[in-house]
Amino acid sequence: MPRNSNNSTKRKMDLGEDVSSLFGKRSKTSSNSTVNRSRTKGTEEAPTVFNQKKCNAWFRQYSTPSSPDTIGPEGVEMFCRDLNVEPENIALLVLSWKMGAKQMGYFTLQEWLLGLTDLQCDSLAKLQAKLNYLHSLLLDSSHFKSIYRYAFDFSRDKDQRSLDIETAKAMLGLLLGRQWSLLNSFFQFLDQSRYRVLNKDQWCNVLEFSRAVDVDLKNYDVDGAWPVMLDEFVEWLKVNRGESNIQ
Amino acid sequence: MRIRAFPMTMDERYVENIWSLLKNAIQEIQKKNNSGLSFEELYRNAYTMVLHKHGERLYNGLREVVTHHLESKVRQDVLASLNNNFLQILNQAWNDHQTSMVMIRDILMYMDRVYVQQNNVDNVYNLGLIIFRDQVVRYGGIRDHLRHILLEMVVRERKGEVADKLSVRAACQMLMVLGIDSRAVYEEDFERPFLSQSAEFYRSESQRFLGENSASVYIKKVEARINEESERAKHYLDESTEQRIVAVVEEELIQKHMKTIVEMENSGVVHMLKCQKTDDLHCMYKLLGRVADGLRTMASCVSAHLREEGKALVNVDESGANALNFVQSLLDLKDRYDTFLGKSFVNDPIFKKMISSDFEYFLNLNLKSPEYLSLFIDDKLKKGVKGMTEQDIELVLDKTMVLFRFLQEKDIFERYYKQHLAKRLLLNKSVSDDSEKNMISKLKTECGCQFTSKLEGMFKDMSISNMLMEDFKNHIQTSGTSLYGVDLSVRVLTTGFWPTQSSATCTLPLAPRNAFEVFRRFYLAKHSGRQLTLQPALGSADLSAIFYGPRREESETKEKADGPSSSTPTSASANGPRKHIISVSTYQMCILMLFNTRDRLTYEDIMNETDVPKKDLDRALQSLAMGKPTQRVLVKSPKGKDILPSSIFAVNDSFTSKLHRVKIQTVAAKGESEPERKETRSKVDEDRKHEIEAAIVRIMKARKTMQHNLLVSEVTEQLKSRFLPSPVIIKKRIEGLIEREYLARTPEDRKVYTYVA
Repeated sequence: MPRNSNNSTKRKMDLGEDVSSLFGKRSKTSSNSTVNRSRTKGTEEAPTVFNQKKCNAWFRQYSTPSSPDTIGPEGVEMFCRDLNVEPENIALLVLSWKMGAKQMGYFTLQEWLLGLTDLQCDSLAKLQAKLNYLHSLLLDSSHFKSIYRYAFDFSRDKDQRSLDIETAKAMLGLLLGRQWSLLNSFFQFLDQSRYRVLNKDQWCNVLEFSRAVDVDLKNYDVDGAWPVMLDEFVEWLKVNRGESNIQ
Repeated sequence: MRIRAFPMTMDERYVENIWSLLKNAIQEIQKKNNSGLSFEELYRNAYTMVLHKHGERLYNGLREVVTHHLESKVRQDVLASLNNNFLQILNQAWNDHQTSMVMIRDILMYMDRVYVQQNNVDNVYNLGLIIFRDQVVRYGGIRDHLRHILLEMVVRERKGEVADKLSVRAACQMLMVLGIDSRAVYEEDFERPFLSQSAEFYRSESQRFLGENSASVYIKKVEARINEESERAKHYLDESTEQRIVAVVEEELIQKHMKTIVEMENSGVVHMLKCQKTDDLHCMYKLLGRVADGLRTMASCVSAHLREEGKALVNVDESGANALNFVQSLLDLKDRYDTFLGKSFVNDPIFKKMISSDFEYFLNLNLKSPEYLSLFIDDKLKKGVKGMTEQDIELVLDKTMVLFRFLQEKDIFERYYKQHLAKRLLLNKSVSDDSEKNMISKLKTECGCQFTSKLEGMFKDMSISNMLMEDFKNHIQTSGTSLYGVDLSVRVLTTGFWPTQSSATCTLPLAPRNAFEVFRRFYLAKHSGRQLTLQPALGSADLSAIFYGPRREESETKEKADGPSSSTPTSASANGPRKHIISVSTYQMCILMLFNTRDRLTYEDIMNETDVPKKDLDRALQSLAMGKPTQRVLVKSPKGKDILPSSIFAVNDSFTSKLHRVKIQTVAAKGESEPERKETRSKVDEDRKHEIEAAIVRIMKARKTMQHNLLVSEVTEQLKSRFLPSPVIIKKRIEGLIEREYLARTPEDRKVYTYVA
């Protein structure tokens, strides 16, 4: 930086002020760091090597003093806003999967570091750049399966073994909404059934079902060891379509 | 005489001479003039010809002569006789021919041996046969007429007219012989047309027979015809035809109409079954056994009828249902069909299997069958079975076991059996321990130890309780403890062996309550760490009662005026107070003791003070107040069938009985009530869930991995002696076990499970 007198410093200060006003509300630490953080915004960034300390510090932006090693639901919300991503966006699920996050709405420091190290992101900008990559993981069939299965444990209530049906439907919508044409029928079936929860086996088999069974149900194998719930779904669907005589 | 040297060569003339000689001889033989001939000379001449290589000439010459004779003489004769003794003439011609051919053969034997062999031609006799066949028997007009005559004879015979059987036989034998090592001539010229004509004949016979509209008559007629044809073939046609003609008859008379016969109205199988016609059934069985699927047709008709009969017995309507009749009627049905099986169907396995599967089918249509079966056995094991000796009972129980084997829900039976056994033991109703144990060993043979171990536990408890009471009595005597005036008898039951009761307690009257406390202390001193719970539903009591009112017969009018009053003796009565001993249930004891301090109580009062569960309270009060007059210890007002909370009860002071000791019968148990039954069923369903899961875990632990369908069928196999789980239920249990992480699906194939250690 040319050691010009007032101009350059002034410019620097101006820049700092502009940016700091943006960050002023969010940052929870001293103003010193504000200046440092100004570098994390936007694409004016020159790619730097992943820095764990930086990542750590980034974490602290969202955790609270009372639980410094955990980001809670509010922090996650803020994080999403920063990232410019809705919390329902599936990219977040993929990110959580990368982190191995145990509970939806919470990130522990360990999880944070694990995931972001793998992604080599220590800043919002870097992470934003990776969003496409995260989406692309869903296109790989075995990654998708892994993410799908992870979603069950991630979204269930930790003191329950099963996933309540409303959350299940939300997650299914997120994951299978675009690729399984029978999803809505399945939801209708669930609504009129007595099922209030989905267990892990049922959850996993829904994916298998969506992949293996055709829309016309012609290749549905009654002896295929499908969970009873899916047998019932097929029966219900057939009746609904007027294909079955059994009431 | 010049002795000629043996001619080494023969000139034509010489040969011609020899042949003429022989030809002449043959012709003489054919004319039956053989007596003047010299066998030796002829033989030698023939020998000579053949030796000098003139066998062919001889052979051809023979053929010519025979042909000529048969053509111009024999055939003409036969043709002439077409309408006049044809068969006899033909037979005669045939016999003559055979005779002459034998002689001719003898003469020409050297030719047979040498020339014929070397040149591979027909031998003399066969040559004769062939020529006879072609020139006579199969000559146009003769052939047709022969066939016609033979068939006509058969027709006549079948009508019952007389026919020349011997001629027919001879003709058939001739045809057989003419086949020369095959029966082709007989077959073509006679048998085939015979069989086809017979088929037609029997086709119309069948219509005639059917017209009689009686299955048994039809069967007898068919049998008769079969015998007739059989005899005819054996004796007058050729034996080999027997099988074929019988097959034709079977086809036309049986095979084509078996369904009609079996299902004939008012005379078919159903009629025979209904009217116990074991012999007719047996005849039909024998008949239909002759054709393929005949027995199966009959069996399915029997089966359909049996199922109908069974269904009718089993679908008794709720209110009319009586367990004893239900089972007895099924036993009777089984007896009837066992008789059929033995006498009519000679224990044929097809029929045996079918009867068993039918019984299994309809027995399980009624979901209460297991309960009824248990009640039936209960009745036979109780004291007071009328009109049956021990052997009779043993026999009936064995037969009942046969029905038991057909039950699909044996676990439900087990549950009821336990309940009924418990009642018998506790209320002292068993005829004898031996007969009980006998029954249990029968069940053990059928179902294994698991079934019966608990039952045996119940017996042990009984004998231990007896010993316990001995000790207790001694204890009381030696320690001089008061039992509050109660002669107490306690039976201690191990939970787990005995059917679980709802642990409803009621408020016992003071004296028995205190007496029991004495026992409780005594018992717990011996067995600390155990817990004792009173089971009021199973207990009984003998109460000493005094009735102060006038006897029943006199008190009609008085009762209305005074109102029931148990405390004041009526001086008007000449009889004085009557003492009785009343045998009642524990609940009834609780109720009755209340009246020691009160004259009148409402239903509500009684309920509040005794705390007896409603259902039992109603039953108890019904027996006490609304039974037969000799049982009515209490009176209810207002009178009527219903027990309302406001109904008022009081002691029936006019109670009278000839017996000193009066046993209050509880309202007859018609088996369980609907809500009780629902409860039992839900308990059974719970148990079944556990049994299925246990089976799944057991199998998976041993096999480590298993494919879904295999697992389901293994489980079904293991449990089939108790009940029949449906594949859907088994699947649900598998899912439950997956959730609880006993099992998992293998990652490679979701249809294969592994055991999670």
